[in-house]
Amino acid sequence: MANAEWEKVKESLKKPATPEAMKEAAAAFERYREVELAKGKGSKPTLVSLGKGKGYPHAVPVDKIPDELARNPAFFNLLKRVVEKK
Amino acid sequence: MPVAVIMSDFDLPTRSASGFILRYIAPRLEPVHLYSLLARRGPFVLSAPQSDIIIMTGHGDTDVITGQNEAVILEVGKYAPREVRGKVIKLLSCQTGVSLCPDLVANGAACAMGYVDDYVWVCDSDLAARPWADKMAATSLMPVIDGINALLDGKTCQEALNMELEGYSRNAEVEEDELIRSCLEFNRANAVLLGDSAARVRARPKLPLPFQFIPPPPIILPISS
Repeated sequence: MANAEWEKVKESLKKPATPEAMKEAAAAFERYREVELAKGKGSKPTLVSLGKGKGYPHAVPVDKIPDELARNPAFFNLLKRVVEKK
Repeated sequence: MPVAVIMSDFDLPTRSASGFILRYIAPRLEPVHLYSLLARRGPFVLSAPQSDIIIMTGHGDTDVITGQNEAVILEVGKYAPREVRGKVIKLLSCQTGVSLCPDLVANGAACAMGYVDDYVWVCDSDLAARPWADKMAATSLMPVIDGINALLDGKTCQEALNMELEGYSRNAEVEEDELIRSCLEFNRANAVLLGDSAARVRARPKLPLPFQFIPPPPIILPISS
């Protein structure tokens, strides 16, 4: 079920959190969401966490993840851990 | 069986997590629920020592778990051992498995379960008024609920944790959204159990009821953050 756009997100998140890598990850995530939205989901999915004082918002709407990825290294690193951990 | 349930509810993640506990755990317990404004240190200190099991959800870090509006409830080195001695403790929060859970066990808790990294999931913000109906959040939170219910049914902590882990795996296998699936695998990898894995709490005898429990009413307080 893995799709090609998600693989690109994972690849981009493997890099250190430099401004270029963050922009690249943001663009890749945006393309991935376009694919997901094409499936017709009609809700407001939001990525949430129960962290305290972590340097990123507790709740990030999924359509705003590219913006957060591009500007917030702490969020970039969180998503990096999420997609890498198996 | 005395149970202390502490559920903060002031933003989307705490509302989502508390909503599932309210809907699927709270109806089977005595009403010692420290919910919303009661999810604070003072009420916790009064109720925790009399409980066999402590179930808590709120924002947390490696050495702390908080309640309403991030008021500290348990912090390494800043609580009395009698609050946790001999108890089974389940913390649905971020990173508490790193320092707080080991500290709880060192202070006499029978078993402490938490997570060694952030606890993340995808929820539907359109369903903030009835979070238990959120199928996206359920992929991650229902395994936690299943594990807690197993504990309350008298299973050992290890059996309860295994049930939670199997739930993540089962849901991840059929999940089509890669982000949600990654969150499930992430939470699964981070769940930890410290202390006595064979610890258990006394199961309450099953009551044959001629009706089903009614879901709690919708939460109508606005989220303020």
